[in-house]
Amino acid sequence: MKEFAVFWGCTIQTRFPFLEKSTRIVLDEFNLPYKDIDGFTCCPEKSLVNNVDHASFVVTAARNVALVDELDYDLVSPCTGCVSNLATVKGELCSNPKEKAEVNELLKGVGREFKGTAKLQHLVPFFHDTVGVFAIKQKIKKDFAGMRIALHYGCHMIRPSHALRNDDPIAPVKFDNLIAALGAVSVQFPTKMMCCGQGLDRVDQHDLALQLARVKLKELKALEVDALVLCCPSCFLQFDNNQYLMEKEGEKLGVPVIYFTELLGLALGHTPEELGITAHRVDCAPFLKKWAECSGQAAASTMDDELNAQGAL
Amino acid sequence: MLELNLNMKLLEMCSKCGACYSICPSCTHLPGYDPRQVVADIVQGKFEKWLSSSSIWQCLECHYCLEMCYQHYGFENAMTALRTIATKRGLNPPQVKRGWDMFAKTGKLGEPALPARKKFGLPEPSKSGGEELKKVLDALKDRRGKGHH
Ligand code: SF4
Ligand code: SF4
Repeated sequence: MKEFAVFWGCTIQTRFPFLEKSTRIVLDEFNLPYKDIDGFTCCPEKSLVNNVDHASFVVTAARNVALVDELDYDLVSPCTGCVSNLATVKGELCSNPKEKAEVNELLKGVGREFKGTAKLQHLVPFFHDTVGVFAIKQKIKKDFAGMRIALHYGCHMIRPSHALRNDDPIAPVKFDNLIAALGAVSVQFPTKMMCCGQGLDRVDQHDLALQLARVKLKELKALEVDALVLCCPSCFLQFDNNQYLMEKEGEKLGVPVIYFTELLGLALGHTPEELGITAHRVDCAPFLKKWAECSGQAAASTMDDELNAQGAL
Repeated sequence: MLELNLNMKLLEMCSKCGACYSICPSCTHLPGYDPRQVVADIVQGKFEKWLSSSSIWQCLECHYCLEMCYQHYGFENAMTALRTIATKRGLNPPQVKRGWDMFAKTGKLGEPALPARKKFGLPEPSKSGGEELKKVLDALKDRRGKGHH
């Protein structure tokens, strides 16, 4: 497997260091050749930087990609926004040689060159495609049989599809496959693919951000799912922090929010404390309690014939 | 007047279509949000009134419309173009300015939370490329000053 740099992004390192922790835990568990490299900046955040100045958006992302191009690494990020932004710029420059030359002229001043050779992946499709469902199943110590999970992909894990090209942009399946591999049921629900709405919190429209969070959380409460699982710090902010703010105002929805790396880490035998699940704002105890009650069998003991037959590796 | 960086041919088709309205999360859940009106006004050259409206900041850039659009264009292009002009005129939300200032100064939107890193046993954070990026952004400014775009 090719070595890859992890692009942590600003939000995880600033606000949710425990998400970095659980990501490192699962990367280590699978002995994946990941690197921490110096020199990254903000990806940059599209809704902010691109609205102010498109050229700054492009050169900033191009410079970040140049760092991994140079080392001949690929790039993986546990943040959907980071990957989507970097890939959007990579796509734009690779299809526009003139713009690429202009950008490289600027980067030359600091000794960098954007080539666009590095593969840029979000952690979820990376686990699905590169680690593989089968390898994951083999390592599970305790699965989530009997648990009902609601998935939130996060728009930027899969869109824009012309740049990311990793799953169906309207009806994706890879995250669902991973949840199934962990033994849980991925509950299908009407607002499954609806945007989290956190963007509104970045443009001084906090009440409307809450309004959008409420739509999905209310639906999940009614469906009595055991947890909302996602893999984006921005979506996490929206559903964990903002749900907590609503709770403080007396509106208790009680939907535990679990990061993909935490769910995987639990299945691999790590404790909620180690993984930082206890640092969430919304209480995850009901989810953990239900899991303890589910019998949970060792998935590694049963070979999945169907999976084997399909050549899922 | 600032130029709208938009493909008017596609937008004209868009103003007669409206198909993605029903799948747009903001159209569905935020009363008053309606890019169909915005697009119609742009096509007729009357977009000025939208520049100071909070509506143009309610597009979530979720790219859903882009994916559904038979032109692979999407409402979002119209909204982004208006936000860019609004920002040039200083009509952006204060938070956007604060975020931009931080980005321009440090190349990041925040610094690693060191005490929490220690608590979780995380390694020293990697070095930021903020200083180097600043040089690149300065070079970009210089080029513009010389009339390149
Ligand atoms: S990108 Fe904006 S306009 Fe398009 S569907 Fe999403 S919120 Fe609606
Ligand atoms: S963005 Fe595309 S799908 Fe949506 S209304 Fe315009 S033309 Fe139709």
